[in-house]
Amino acid sequence: MPADVTFHYYEGERGEFIQVIEERCIGCGQCAKFCTTGVWEKIDKIYKPIHLKKCAECGACWNVCDADAIIFGEPRGGTGVKFTHG
Amino acid sequence: MTTQLDYDVIVVGAGCAGPAAAKKCAELGLKTLLVEKSSEPGGKNVSGTCLNMAALGDTDLHYIMKCPIEREIHSMRTYQISDDRMTVFNEMPKSGILLLSIRRDEFDKWHTEQARKAGAEVRLGIAVVDIIEENDVVQGVVLESGEQLRSHVVIDGGGVNSIVGRKASLIPKRSGQNMILYLTAAVYLGEEVINERFRDEQGGYCIEYYLAPGIQHKTWPWIFPKKDTVTLGTGGYMTKDLINNEFPNVQQYMQNFMDLPIVKKKLAGGRVESWGLHLEFDGKIAQKTKSGLILTGEAGGFVIPFLGEGMPEAFFTGIYAAKTAAECIQKNDISQATLSEIYEEFIQENLFMQGFMYVGEENKKSILSKTDEEIVEIMQSVVMGGGFITNVVHTKWLRGVENDSLEDIEDAQTFLEFIQPYRQVSTDYLEIYREMRAQAKLEEISTKGDEI
Ligand SMILES: Cc1cc2nc3c(=O)[nH]c(=O)nc-3n(C[C@H](O)[C@H](O)[C@H](O)COP(=O)(O)OP(=O)(O)OC[C@H]3O[C@@H](n4cnc5c(N)ncnc54)[C@H](O)[C@@H]3O)c2cc1C
Repeated sequence: MPADVTFHYYEGERGEFIQVIEERCIGCGQCAKFCTTGVWEKIDKIYKPIHLKKCAECGACWNVCDADAIIFGEPRGGTGVKFTHG
Repeated sequence: MTTQLDYDVIVVGAGCAGPAAAKKCAELGLKTLLVEKSSEPGGKNVSGTCLNMAALGDTDLHYIMKCPIEREIHSMRTYQISDDRMTVFNEMPKSGILLLSIRRDEFDKWHTEQARKAGAEVRLGIAVVDIIEENDVVQGVVLESGEQLRSHVVIDGGGVNSIVGRKASLIPKRSGQNMILYLTAAVYLGEEVINERFRDEQGGYCIEYYLAPGIQHKTWPWIFPKKDTVTLGTGGYMTKDLINNEFPNVQQYMQNFMDLPIVKKKLAGGRVESWGLHLEFDGKIAQKTKSGLILTGEAGGFVIPFLGEGMPEAFFTGIYAAKTAAECIQKNDISQATLSEIYEEFIQENLFMQGFMYVGEENKKSILSKTDEEIVEIMQSVVMGGGFITNVVHTKWLRGVENDSLEDIEDAQTFLEFIQPYRQVSTDYLEIYREMRAQAKLEEISTKGDEI
């Protein structure tokens, strides 16, 4: 059985609920390293949540960011990742 | 205290802790609001979803036995696999039910309905984005719509990354040896196939743990049977070695787990219905209250270390937070000192939580410093409650002998005496369980009658 991880999502725009504070990012890449779904990409010297659509809202990136460069807010109510059989 | 309040208590999050808190608040006569960001309770939640029966035996949690149940679990099996052999351990109490397996999408919905029936107002599909804090006192919450709602007390049941606890500066960033990154997969097999493959020798159903190189990082993977799906979970503590060249992401641990020949056999013919991804924090949150605010469940760090059990702890702390809020509102004193004193007292009095917490902590201490190979070895004695408890006693005893310290040995002895009642799988609750199931059935019939 292949572990091809994909998630279900509720309909509707989630909004920019994860943002990077560009002047704080030191480009260490911890966010990208601990991200299971490949949200983060290095653009020039810093990381940005380019593929936010793939986010499963686990918060690993925020937790490992020692530079305090990530704003981890809430997706709009009723939108975003949907877990079944949880 | 200002009288211009929207509610007595606002509870954030309809996971495990939130509905328990909101239900209890409403029962205690408080004007209560429960806010959940998902449009369906449970839609954002991931868990192994095995409810510990020993915890449900507590009077406060009897009502949980009426919840939608997937399967009654009677035993546990651990597969320890190395290159040259596979050893299987069975932990099978003679009788009784060890665990109840559930589904969070169904369970959380049911639980939220219990809170609503008790009188709490429920708002779904709307996120809390901030707290209202004035002069160091939490006064209420801000919804995504910008609406500000005020209450005497806010109860945070928002889970591991709760924005409420973060905004109140009580929940810090965490990784390393206290934070686990978990990937789960729900695999559909059908009821009949699960009946066959996850049955023990006594005819009951069993959950399974697996230990093998390359399938986990300092934790242990599992397969928990539900009705027609089984859930697989693996991942590891978020230390810097969790992700490396060999394991570029947690999918790799899951792939290796699914590729174990024995697991392949267990899952043959199945298909993945859905994936889950979640963090779990099993360390301590230093401060669990602030004036006007109480953290419960995972937001408050109430997960048993290493054993990863957190649902009963969330129910308990949700209920205790409600009782604390009621008492403090009545006294007209919602200061941090008073909330904390009353809340901690409730928690200290819960021997199940204290005992389990202690066992978990001691096991974690002796296990996290070890290599994966050593962990696999230790697991030989760490099958189920009995093994965990034995490990604590042995570790303390050996430490005492090594250091020539009578104190440590006495400590081991005292602990062993204290924990005795928890080593047995109590059958007292079986009667209560049957009664609760019968009541649930009646309630279901009467609800259906109402609908007609
Ligand atoms: C993979 C895994 C396996 C586990 N296995 C088990 C097990 O077998 N047995 C066991 O007992 N425990 C298990 N646990 C632990 C258990 O799941 C948690 O401890 C428990 O779910 C915590 O309950 P909670 O109510 O505190 O938080 P949660 O269950 O996480 O609920 C939080 C709720 O708050 C909502 N919310 C969050 N923020 C907001 C906001 N800003 N506004 C509105 N709503 C919000 C969320 O949508 C969610 O519904 C497991 C955990 C994981 C990750």
